[in-house]
Amino acid sequence: MQSPIIWHTFFFFLFSFLACVFAVAVLVTSNIVRMAFFLVISLGSTAGLFFLAGADLVGSMQLMIYVGGTLVLLIFGVMLTARSPLISMHTPSGEWILGAIVGGSLLAVLLQIALSPKAWQQGPELPPAAYTAVEAGTPAAAELARDPRLRPPQTATKLGLGLLGERVDKLVVQDPTRRAGMSGYLLPFEIVSVHLLVVLVGAAYLARARFRVSD
Amino acid sequence: MRAISWLPRSVKAEEPRKNVPRVLVSPGGRVPYFTTSLSAGRKAARSTLGKTTATGIGRPVAEYLQTILPFWLAYLVAALVHATLLIVLSLASGVIFVWGERKVAGRIQDRLGPTRVGGRYGWLQTIADGIKLLTKEDLRPKGADSFLFRIAPYVGWGASYAAFIALPFANGWVAQRMNVAVFFILAVLGLEVFGVILAGYASGSKWSLFGAMREAAQVVSYEVPLGMCVIVPVMIAGTMDLTTIANMQQGWFFNWFVFHDIFTFLLFGVYFTCATAGVNRAPFDLAEAESELVAGFHTEYSGFRWLFFFVAEYGSMFMVSGLAALLFFGGWNGPIPVTAFWPDHPAMNYLANFLGMLNFVFKCTFGVVVMMWVRWTLPRVRIDQVITTCLKYCTPLAAVLFLGATLWTFAFPGGITGMRQVPYGMVREQYKPAEVRAAEDHVAGHPAAESDLAVAGQHRSPR
Amino acid sequence: MSTQLDDPRIVESDVRTDEMLVNMGPQHPSTHGVLRLVLRTDGEIVSDTTAHIGYLHRCAEKIGENLAPRQWIPYTDRMDYLAAMNMNLGWSLAVEKLLNLELPEKAVHLRVIIAELGRIASHLVGMGTYGLDLGSFSPFLYAFREREKILDLFEEVCGARLTYSYITPGGATHDLPPGWIQKCEAFLDQFLPVVDEFHTLLTSNAIFIRRACDIGVLTPEMAISYACSGPVLRGSGVDQDLRRDGEERYTEMYDGYAFEVIVEKDGHYPQDYKYPAVPREARLGDCWHRFYVRMLEIRQSIDLMRQAFDRYSTAKGSYHIPMKLNEKLPRGEAYLETEAPRGQMGFYVVGNGTPIPWRVRARSSSFNNLSVVSELCRGCLIADVPAVVGSLDIVMGEIDR
Repeated sequence: MQSPIIWHTFFFFLFSFLACVFAVAVLVTSNIVRMAFFLVISLGSTAGLFFLAGADLVGSMQLMIYVGGTLVLLIFGVMLTARSPLISMHTPSGEWILGAIVGGSLLAVLLQIALSPKAWQQGPELPPAAYTAVEAGTPAAAELARDPRLRPPQTATKLGLGLLGERVDKLVVQDPTRRAGMSGYLLPFEIVSVHLLVVLVGAAYLARARFRVSD
Repeated sequence: MRAISWLPRSVKAEEPRKNVPRVLVSPGGRVPYFTTSLSAGRKAARSTLGKTTATGIGRPVAEYLQTILPFWLAYLVAALVHATLLIVLSLASGVIFVWGERKVAGRIQDRLGPTRVGGRYGWLQTIADGIKLLTKEDLRPKGADSFLFRIAPYVGWGASYAAFIALPFANGWVAQRMNVAVFFILAVLGLEVFGVILAGYASGSKWSLFGAMREAAQVVSYEVPLGMCVIVPVMIAGTMDLTTIANMQQGWFFNWFVFHDIFTFLLFGVYFTCATAGVNRAPFDLAEAESELVAGFHTEYSGFRWLFFFVAEYGSMFMVSGLAALLFFGGWNGPIPVTAFWPDHPAMNYLANFLGMLNFVFKCTFGVVVMMWVRWTLPRVRIDQVITTCLKYCTPLAAVLFLGATLWTFAFPGGITGMRQVPYGMVREQYKPAEVRAAEDHVAGHPAAESDLAVAGQHRSPR
Repeated sequence: MSTQLDDPRIVESDVRTDEMLVNMGPQHPSTHGVLRLVLRTDGEIVSDTTAHIGYLHRCAEKIGENLAPRQWIPYTDRMDYLAAMNMNLGWSLAVEKLLNLELPEKAVHLRVIIAELGRIASHLVGMGTYGLDLGSFSPFLYAFREREKILDLFEEVCGARLTYSYITPGGATHDLPPGWIQKCEAFLDQFLPVVDEFHTLLTSNAIFIRRACDIGVLTPEMAISYACSGPVLRGSGVDQDLRRDGEERYTEMYDGYAFEVIVEKDGHYPQDYKYPAVPREARLGDCWHRFYVRMLEIRQSIDLMRQAFDRYSTAKGSYHIPMKLNEKLPRGEAYLETEAPRGQMGFYVVGNGTPIPWRVRARSSSFNNLSVVSELCRGCLIADVPAVVGSLDIVMGEIDR
């Protein structure tokens, strides 16, 4: 049975369209608060793309950390300091051209890299039965249900175990030497967290106001 | 690395793909979307531990519709059905809870509340109010940023509504059964603050800005102890999948996680406090503090836009009560397992799930009513005291209780009596090589569990 | 980077925020009337408060120069409209002082009953709205439920619920109806447990204590220098109550009544009542103490009323001295202050031989109480401003007249 509308592709295009359009809107708009808001939509659409790829955890993390943390902070700061010069910002056309050149060349490089790997140019090796509708309860459906390639990815479990050192995401690699070299992510995670804390404390310290006491 | 088929292929012609509609299954390999099973997992409602069967019995809505509709339409209709049900739930819960709040407030304050519209109990009052709000003039302050002013209520409501996607109402009755449902809900609930911030800023009034800033600070601060409180049931269950967490609490009420150990019992109190603060209910409702800021961030909102803020608020209250019910009170599993002794027939399974859903909604409503009760009893806490409560009381308390619960589950994995289900968190077992596992099973003497809980992981080690 | 600063004149502080002028009122749910407070805030901290009054000014004193004293009584009703009986009483006593009238015993005890019942009604409003300011919605309605019963009693006496014009120079307009005392006693009997309920809901509530203790501390010296009076003054520890310390014409109304002034002496409040203990965080002169004084005064008024019931029943004489409307006022002046629920309310009348006074003046207690708000609000958070203003229990009708 053919499907004239492919929902997956539709939503992919929708989310990418939103992400790209609002990213461009961030550049184009002259009001700083609206810029922050458009960035929210853009990053939210990126989270949507993550969900579409089946990476629930990463999508949720994007929502929680980027949109719900970083952007809240950004909007907070923007909102508190938005005075009229920032409400209507005007970018001179020379800067537009320069930005277009730099951004455009970066985009070209990224597209070139993204489209080059052979593994990304074709679909997954799914069994043909995956592409047709199957009646529930038939042997074909049972076969489909047992196929390991069609299982929902165990995103959280494998990541969690990987954090702790059990690299079950690389179970196919059985070579003992290579397995011995695999480690968990807990230490780098901790180091990054402490770095973040140091950065925050430093930023708060740097942002303190100093003024002279009048004599 | 699994191939991702939705990246555009190269343009050159290659071997034709033989009538491939390209999507029944998403390339991530997941089961089709919108798999609310009409009778799935009924067996899980039985109280016999570890002997549940897989969820494949029922037919998901989308699969059923595929037999009568064209392919693409089936999924569209399934999606619309789920979306509509959730919208109805979100809006209807807003309507009913507004009426409920007025009645509860009235009774607590020694008066009656609405009694005229729609009979003796005034249950149509909110409908009448909604109609009135629809017909109000569309006001916008002159100093307001009009685009942000108009969009703010919908952003807030959208976040509140989106969280319902992952909330299960009965075994298998969930719009999208996610492996990381808890995390998803927490992430999306944290987005509601955007509606408030934008509303406060875009109103162009200092008072609204004050309210919005206080609210943002409060919600973001309380996400920390809330997350810590939520982690403990997740740890006890070993999974973030809300359906599985609730399934693990089936049976009698002492299976509920709130009675799992004393730390979790106390943690529920901290969770409820943090949840009340996270949805801006009294005593933490400074964002709408009437006596100080008239109405805080939504001072300048009237008519339907204001209604959306309130629907979002009640939706979030329902959501956090739902989380509490699922994580601590067994979700749809009642205090008494009435459905465990029913015959195993699809219609009976459906009825059992339906009763479970009613049970769950009852628990959510009870949580919301408790929040209302607290609102009309206690005075309001000042913003610096709110943040102090969060950082100096809730967070350390949650951390200490988290530590206690961790040590407890480490010391008594099966509970004090040793009869609780072994947590799903022993996932490492599943990744052991087959020979080691078989040897251990032989020694322990019980067969490999074919439980719903294991299959929910749905990943086997290479045998 | 050295953490020691070399130049001692550079002071570190928090992240800077801008100074804002924020306007509270005149339409505002918690400014107790049409009061406009302009707050100069630095972030959330208030550095200065300016009160703009006069929105409710109705030229009452000027009108008093055209009306006979008995005709001017309704204007006193509308000053402190929540304690109208006490306003009537103050004015009537001032006019009687000018006329040098001696009232019969029954009238005096009747006035005590009515004044104390009015005091209870007024404190109920003050207490309920204070809870409302702090976000506690239910005690407000419980207080008004009790107040409804009091207003029903007043309606039986004089026909009005809010603006009574009942106590006139010479006594009162009507006698207490038969059976009224019994209804009053029944009300007081059922009211006593409700007061304990208020203590549970507000006075000893942890959140209320956090909001009201150590906020808006008024030192006794400042209270006296700003001429504050009533619970505001007694909440700061100054032992002053006009029912005991005032003019003879007023204190002889309370001759023979046993009552202790509600003020903290040596760290204790009067021991006769069972009351919640003073919390650790409370400082003398803060909002909590002012609130507490009002709550204890309710109990005190209940006791006074009970004593007055007995005396009224056995009193001799009539409830009033009949007076003509065009009774000439002697030349001279009279000023009398009474202990109204909100403080010391003074009335001044100058007579010039005609039935119409030459000048009338009302000295409003809330006027002086409000003037201290800018001192109290210095350095507190915005959320504390309604707490402070509510604890002063002001009524704009009295301030603006």
